[in-house]
Amino acid sequence: MNFKEVLLSGITILPLIGVVILLLWRKATKNQAAIIGIISEGCALIIPIILLATLRSGETIRFSLAWIPNMNISFTLHLDWLALVFLMTEVLVTLVAMIYSLGEKTGEKNSNHYYALLLLFSLGMSGTTLADDAFLFYIFWELMLIASVLLILVWGYGEDRFRVALKYFIVTHIGSLFVLICLITLFVNFGTASITEIATLASALPLQTQTLLTIFFILGFCVKMAIFPLHIWLPDAHTVAPMPVTIILAAAMLSMGTYGILRFPINFFSLDIIQPFAVWLMVAGLISEIYGALMALAEKDIKRIIAYSSVSQMGYILFGIGSLTEQGMVGSIMHVVYHAIVKALLFMVVGIIIATTKERQIEKLSGLGKVLPVTTVCAAIGALGISGMPPLGIFNSEWMIFAGGFGSGYSPILTILTLIGSLFTVVYALRFFGKIFLGKLGAGIEPKASPKALLVPTLAVTIFLIIEGLLPAPLLSWAINGLAVVFGGSS
Amino acid sequence: MSGLIGTILPLVILILGAFGVYLAARILRLSNRVEALLTAAIIGAAFTTLVSLGNNLNGKLPIFGVFESGGIQYQVDVAGNFIVAISFFIGILITLYSGEYLSRDPRYLLYYPLIMLTLAGLLGIFYTTDLFNLFLLVELISVTASALIAFRYHRETSVKAGFKYLIMSSLGTMIMLFGIYFTFQGADTTDISEISMKVNTFSRIGAGCFLVGFSIKAGITPFHTWVPEVYSGAPSAISAFLAGVISKSMLFIMSIICINLGLETSELGFYLLILSFLNMFIGSIRALNQKNIRSFLSFSSIAQTGYLMFILGIGFYFEIERAFAAALFLFLVIAITKCLAFLSAGIYEFYFDTGHIDDLQGVYKIMPRTAYFFSLALAGLAGIPLLAGFTGKWLVFTAAISTGDPFAIIGVVIFLINTIIGLGGYLPMVVKQFQSLGNEFENSDYPQELPKLSIWMSLPVGILSILVVGIGLLPSPWLNIVNRVVEWIIWL
Repeated sequence: MNFKEVLLSGITILPLIGVVILLLWRKATKNQAAIIGIISEGCALIIPIILLATLRSGETIRFSLAWIPNMNISFTLHLDWLALVFLMTEVLVTLVAMIYSLGEKTGEKNSNHYYALLLLFSLGMSGTTLADDAFLFYIFWELMLIASVLLILVWGYGEDRFRVALKYFIVTHIGSLFVLICLITLFVNFGTASITEIATLASALPLQTQTLLTIFFILGFCVKMAIFPLHIWLPDAHTVAPMPVTIILAAAMLSMGTYGILRFPINFFSLDIIQPFAVWLMVAGLISEIYGALMALAEKDIKRIIAYSSVSQMGYILFGIGSLTEQGMVGSIMHVVYHAIVKALLFMVVGIIIATTKERQIEKLSGLGKVLPVTTVCAAIGALGISGMPPLGIFNSEWMIFAGGFGSGYSPILTILTLIGSLFTVVYALRFFGKIFLGKLGAGIEPKASPKALLVPTLAVTIFLIIEGLLPAPLLSWAINGLAVVFGGSS
Repeated sequence: MSGLIGTILPLVILILGAFGVYLAARILRLSNRVEALLTAAIIGAAFTTLVSLGNNLNGKLPIFGVFESGGIQYQVDVAGNFIVAISFFIGILITLYSGEYLSRDPRYLLYYPLIMLTLAGLLGIFYTTDLFNLFLLVELISVTASALIAFRYHRETSVKAGFKYLIMSSLGTMIMLFGIYFTFQGADTTDISEISMKVNTFSRIGAGCFLVGFSIKAGITPFHTWVPEVYSGAPSAISAFLAGVISKSMLFIMSIICINLGLETSELGFYLLILSFLNMFIGSIRALNQKNIRSFLSFSSIAQTGYLMFILGIGFYFEIERAFAAALFLFLVIAITKCLAFLSAGIYEFYFDTGHIDDLQGVYKIMPRTAYFFSLALAGLAGIPLLAGFTGKWLVFTAAISTGDPFAIIGVVIFLINTIIGLGGYLPMVVKQFQSLGNEFENSDYPQELPKLSIWMSLPVGILSILVVGIGLLPSPWLNIVNRVVEWIIWL
């Protein structure tokens, strides 16, 4: 076992050590618990950066330990370019959410448990992206769900959180069971749980089995992506969850579905198997995009507006994947990252609005631009970002997704409709910004000054969003390398 | 009498122990706790001899008894040894638990001997080579279990439950008696191994009778009607014992006997598979609208019997080795998880004198450890990853899917649907316990003085909790054991 392998294991082990410390440190104050959480998560962020050089040299890094030898199951982690993009996104988002939590009331009680669960939530996502064993993948996949459900249950808003958490658990668990059936079928057929090995063998399965597995995988992962009509868990869960958890749910966890589709059906089976589903993926993406945008337009609760915007944005991603073109799929991978940043920013802005005004209804909010100038700038950039305005990042990814759509060989009407649908995004983004920040201050609204603890991370994310948009080259090359992994390349 | 006397040593220890403990408790006026400790030690001794017997099988199965014509022998059964060892282990835990649980009951003297006799009966039915002897031992279990169920005779529900179990159980044994009659008509012997060599129509009719008789005792649909009332009315420790090990063991002994009497493996497999779906659906769906914790657990137990029947059915119908390993592993998982659930529910009943699901609200703040134990049991039953239940589920699905047969795949889908239905029952109960966490707790009506959980209860429940997590995290040693048992069965 060399240094790099040990380092790779650190991405999962360090947060776990953080969890243990937090659980043992019962009397930790919120700040103390946050420090432990942030340090653990920070380490998980630094490690992949250190390992970047190795990836650039064309190597992939593996860490393997025997776990259940008589079931051929091992604790194997594997870092490649595809995993890297998703891993960095979710770790960064969790880190931002943890810092943002410091300015929130959430987690003031049982702080150690709160930060421990945030770490476990993140660990579930890191493990999902790194796992190279089907059994291990599923364990991490469910860990992600369980940790987020507990966070909603204990720290969510209102009595409704119990119903919402149950709904969230049951709906997404049903999706997970589809994935589980596929994983077990592959395991049974090849006698190995190694994802890398299965990827090389899967195309030897009978065509019918491959088709059936593709359907099940897509269904299972689309539940996590909250693609219409499998999105029913999302609006409530995002609304009821405490803001830092909402940020992680929307900005990071949704993308795990995208990762699953790329890592499993598309990586495992030949394009001949996937091709018949391509157009359906594009149609589902289109419907989700328009439905999410329309619902965001119709919603009155500002948190739900941004929540529905996620349904819409996931539609773009699925559309790009469905195009099965290099441009479209690279665009989708980039969209995952850009969406994560914009969505985190928008929810952070919403958090500041709620914290300063105690109001969530868009009808009652107006004129905040005069009293919350910095937040207004952040919100404006966020709204422009989600609308796909150049030079902000989403413009780049949407451009590629649309280009992929036109190049897919299917009727251009689909892509034209998607383009038209994107106008709804502009409309709800402008409505969100205009209603809340422009005009006269709403009656009965007496906003307090934005708490610095909330404002600083929001500002940092805003700056990061601008930089990411202006300098898309690194992300583009990561996404291209990631796609190469999907289609069987090593770098 | 000849053979290896060690074969019947665990049986002798239990039977002598039962009488010894009763006499000692009566003469020396032992307290409940001392009697519980003494019983646990005796079952522990029987457990040790049983395990060492299982570990020292050098290519043959020890036998002991009268070898003349018409004589009765007891021979070690490999699968039986595994199942009974788990039952003994659970027996030790419920005995210790009863050290506190029975502290308010003046009639504890008989309770412990009855547990030992039930365990002796269970060991006997796996070891005996004679059908009539089997009948007597099954009857022994029925009588002792009925007495245990109705142990709190001052409660109407307990007496009703005991009476119902006795009636249903006697019906089962009566049908078995018919089975013995038919088998004897055809084979002119009651020796199981002899019958298996001259299978005929009569013995097959006999097998059918045993199939129905054991189905009643195992709670297989449509003979499951006694389960909810009995598990809700019996003392919690006894419900744990019955739901966790006794009723599930009946599925295994039923299979062994029926195959020996001439039932085809495909016939048995088909019977188990078809009825398993009914068990799953009835158990999972009916559990959803229960108001009482133990009624809920009873229906979920019916569903679990269905899961076990399903994998056994897959094993027999498709003759797949790994399905039997999965079935034994699942038996272990159900035994510890179900037992943990009933014992945790018993703690709530003991301290709050309530078994209503709604009364669980916010109980975490009063009895946090019990809330964790109970939640762990429910999560384990729901098959949440990293707990024993998930590994069991993985093994079951792996075995069923490996058949590649559409019937088995449909079965897996039905299994999954029921898992999802089950979640609708397990999760709300977990959530309810923690509902008062946060601001709401300040306005709670719960008493400020918190009850202290007795070590007699927390120790066995804690051990079971560790096992639920431990087997989930590191299933390898347990899988090695079940694989070894299955290898033995195949070799034989």
